[in-house]
Amino acid sequence: MTPLSVHFTGVSKRYPHFSLDNIDLALPTGSIMGFVGANGAGKSTTIRILMGLVHQDTGAVEVLGHPMPDDQAAAKRDIGFVSEDMRLYEAATLAWHMKFIQSIFPRWDQRYADNLLRRFDLKPQQKIKGLSHGQRVKAALLLALARRPRLLVLDEPTTGLDPVARHEVLAELMAVLTDEDRTIFFSSQNTLDVEQISDQITFIDRGRIIDSANKEIFLDRWRRLRLMLPPDRPLPRLPGVVEIGGSTRLPVLTINQFDPAMVALCQDAGAAVQSIDAMTLEEIFIANVQSRRDHSVAVSETPESVTA
Amino acid sequence: MNTYLVRRLIYKDWYLSQGLFLAALVLGALTLAGIAAAKGTQLAVILGVIILATILIGMGAILMSSMVVERRQQTLPFVMSLPISYLEYTTSKLLGCLFIFLVLWAALLLGMIATILATPWFPHGLIPFTVIMMVEMLVTTCLLAAVSVTTESQGWTIGVAQLGGLGLNAVGFSIVRLHGIKDTIVAPHPHWTPTALAILAIELATMAMSIAVAFYIQSRKRDFV
Repeated sequence: MTPLSVHFTGVSKRYPHFSLDNIDLALPTGSIMGFVGANGAGKSTTIRILMGLVHQDTGAVEVLGHPMPDDQAAAKRDIGFVSEDMRLYEAATLAWHMKFIQSIFPRWDQRYADNLLRRFDLKPQQKIKGLSHGQRVKAALLLALARRPRLLVLDEPTTGLDPVARHEVLAELMAVLTDEDRTIFFSSQNTLDVEQISDQITFIDRGRIIDSANKEIFLDRWRRLRLMLPPDRPLPRLPGVVEIGGSTRLPVLTINQFDPAMVALCQDAGAAVQSIDAMTLEEIFIANVQSRRDHSVAVSETPESVTA
Repeated sequence: MNTYLVRRLIYKDWYLSQGLFLAALVLGALTLAGIAAAKGTQLAVILGVIILATILIGMGAILMSSMVVERRQQTLPFVMSLPISYLEYTTSKLLGCLFIFLVLWAALLLGMIATILATPWFPHGLIPFTVIMMVEMLVTTCLLAAVSVTTESQGWTIGVAQLGGLGLNAVGFSIVRLHGIKDTIVAPHPHWTPTALAILAIELATMAMSIAVAFYIQSRKRDFV
């Protein structure tokens, strides 16, 4: 069995206006988990708990075999962390930051750091206050990557980056993935980024994990079925229908448990299958969130459907 | 306690505040030189003391609020991504900022004593009062550090810095009227009277207590960033 780099069991955290409820999360070593959620969904709180910066009210968190937050200092020796709200010291140069990090992390790889300086087009003698947002993100990423961490935790690192900078950052992350023992936990609102680099996907909404699976499984099991129903024919009963759109005669079903055998089921029910469309991760995410939020309404309004 | 990492963080704070530290040191040295050059005239002494107190209180406020500033400038996530615990971070902040402040404080205190001893215009009996007031500035700085670290609030830190500045005047006026201080302040030699020693003991105890309370509160915090 693959060891877990991150393991949340029944983790809850309550704030006056927000709660993280019963989070279970397992990230096998060597995998890349994309952690997707809207603003205020609980991504950053989850990551702060993962990093030991916030103490969970209930539940257990283990990171690289260390219980958090009690053993956070030991765990963080092997973690590289970059978050969208992380800033470096403006009065100091990037070279000073590199030297500072190098003095703390014995595995610091200067050759790799020099390589990243070239690839990110960063000048070590430049003060941080003179860097653009994209350069600051790249600088923070360089400082996290060159320490050669076993676990890379990235909290929305591509937010606010221009397309070129985003491409460079993602390309570097993909290059990092060639190391099979490296684990990445990557939170983002941008499903395109997540789809590009992740092999595991977890959706979070309103403080709860609403779905978590392998990316290929995710993409395989979600489909849009466009049907044509003869007059007076009811919608066929299919498992995993999370949303019904279109019209009565031309319904469009969003399904989260797609099976090719469903086509025959539809045809047996007298419906013609016009098309079976694959969905992007963004479409899946939106459908997933909406169906959870409108669960009770959807059930009452569409009694024929079998909701997820 | 990872003392190596605590030392590295103290070095980081030293590096980032060294420009300000040097400016304060140069201004303090120029002020003392000015007092000596003005032959200890009342106006020069009053102005000099105001400038020196402002330098120390100002540096104390800047250094001790660095934890609040670190949060406001969002460099705290960077520091907390390092392999440290809350307590190690608090230790590095309190010890580091106090150390930097102490270096400046000690340099200015030595400069003041040297000015009193080396020039003919000041009675040496002024030394105990000078030391008491300088230690009082340390007390104010420690209280400020404790408030800054535990509340992590810029408002509270500024409020305590202002109260500390006002309190310093009140403490100075009160102490200078005490028997055992006013009787010896113009003496040709320093007299470490029981009153002077008792005040110093109270000041040292207040400093130790404020630092201990700060550590206690930090050790009980559950959320840090």
